Amino acid sequence: MPTQSSNSEHALVLALHNVGVRYWKGGGLFRRHRSEFWALKDVSFQLHAGETLGVIGKNGAGKSTLLRLLAGIIKPDRGQFVNHGFQTTLLSLQIGFIPHLSGRMNIILSGILLGLTRREIEQKMASIIDFAEIGGFIDEPLQTYSSGMRARLGFSTAFHADPDVLLIDEVLGVGDASFVKKSKKVMRDRIQSDKTVVLISHSAAQIRSLCNRVVWIDGGTVAMDGPTDEVLEAYLKTTRHRRGDGERSLAGDDEED
Amino acid sequence: MPRKSELSRSLSFIRYKTLASLQVESARTYAGYLWWVFEPLANMLVYYLVFSVILPRGTDNYVAFLFAGLIPWRWFQATVMRGSNSILSAKSLMQQVYLPKIVFPTVTFLTDTFKFLVIFVLLLLFFILGGFPLGYPYLALPVIIVVQALLIAALTLLFAAITPFLPDLRVVLENLIRLWFFLSGVFYDIDMFSEHAQVYLRLNPMAVLLESYRAVFLDGVWPDMMRLGVFGALSLVLLGVGVWILFRFDYAYPKLKL
Repeated sequence: MPTQSSNSEHALVLALHNVGVRYWKGGGLFRRHRSEFWALKDVSFQLHAGETLGVIGKNGAGKSTLLRLLAGIIKPDRGQFVNHGFQTTLLSLQIGFIPHLSGRMNIILSGILLGLTRREIEQKMASIIDFAEIGGFIDEPLQTYSSGMRARLGFSTAFHADPDVLLIDEVLGVGDASFVKKSKKVMRDRIQSDKTVVLISHSAAQIRSLCNRVVWIDGGTVAMDGPTDEVLEAYLKTTRHRRGDGERSLAGDDEED
Repeated sequence: MPRKSELSRSLSFIRYKTLASLQVESARTYAGYLWWVFEPLANMLVYYLVFSVILPRGTDNYVAFLFAGLIPWRWFQATVMRGSNSILSAKSLMQQVYLPKIVFPTVTFLTDTFKFLVIFVLLLLFFILGGFPLGYPYLALPVIIVVQALLIAALTLLFAAITPFLPDLRVVLENLIRLWFFLSGVFYDIDMFSEHAQVYLRLNPMAVLLESYRAVFLDGVWPDMMRLGVFGALSLVLLGVGVWILFRFDYAYPKLKL
């Protein structure tokens, strides 16, 4: 397996050595009724500062499990995953939102979950509200917002979190038509800056326009790792159906109480 | 996970999530915060009607007796029951961001404990203004509350840690707590049983805690501090076990199919 090291002059951010992640299926109480399922079997690659890494692969190939691993939500069951001291955060829209509370309180809760300190949130509050175009509604309960307003507030908060390493699962832009355009634009600008990004996508077009390197995951292993054009060419040869742009709007609530 | 300030982020989340949970309760209903007082009052009215009017027990000050037992009992029951569900109900959150799972039952514990303390102030006023004996034994109240808080925290964390692996446990727990209610002397006096039975009934920490509140509030005497100390120490050990399980399986919870 070729390991790309075109960015080796930049600091090493994350490293995976023969990583495997196992889930248990069925069973529950008694171990003997369970069967194991390796969502990731053997994954090795490195991520350097400033890279924009695309992760491509079919449904169920293990892309989302990989992203959860990189975000520090789960740990490998075999192999080694090393984070060299960077804050890696999944772009989670509307995380922690509670409908009964004001927009302002939801920004605070969501911001804390996304890794901001209370002081940072206070500093960014005006900018978050402004970007979300919420205006005077910010002290109204979230349940009085339209789904478009919620989507805008969720995006704006997540966008302002700005972690060391940004992990994105498909979604670049959300909300109503004009906000989709606006949010996509700032997201693309950030990705194309020297931000370190890992982007999961079904869309070859999206990956082609944003990523300088691609890891192709197939059946829980790395099928190929290299420059975008080479990997995409090989990937597209094996897939008959090309998918749409891969963008969808997230409107689900994240209330957990 | 090397993060800048994992601990301060967790503490921040606990603080604001607790604040949010308290706000939500008031935002959800028209009367808002008043329900914290109305709800236990309505609850006590039901018990009063059943045990004082329909089935009179003939005890003096039965309403006061009931209040002193029921309010601490409700703190225990509500926290343990809601806490046992706390990690289960955070499933979507923990798929998106890492948080030490201990924060979820901690938020439940703090929310319910805050609500208890508000009602407890009313209970204090009721006894101070109601012509009951006042004296030094009131100094034992913080000790009683701390011991009960330790017991509640221990069971809340323990059940929060276990139920995601055994969701059926919640049904068992519900009935277990109902049985526990009847064994704790919430609406009867343990003294009316035989000496022999009393020995066994006082092995139940909740029974001893409720008796302790009543000793102070109704009789103006010191509670059995020795026994409170033993239960406090045991609760502390149990709390340690709960914390250990939560950290031991911290990365297992997001992988469960909840």
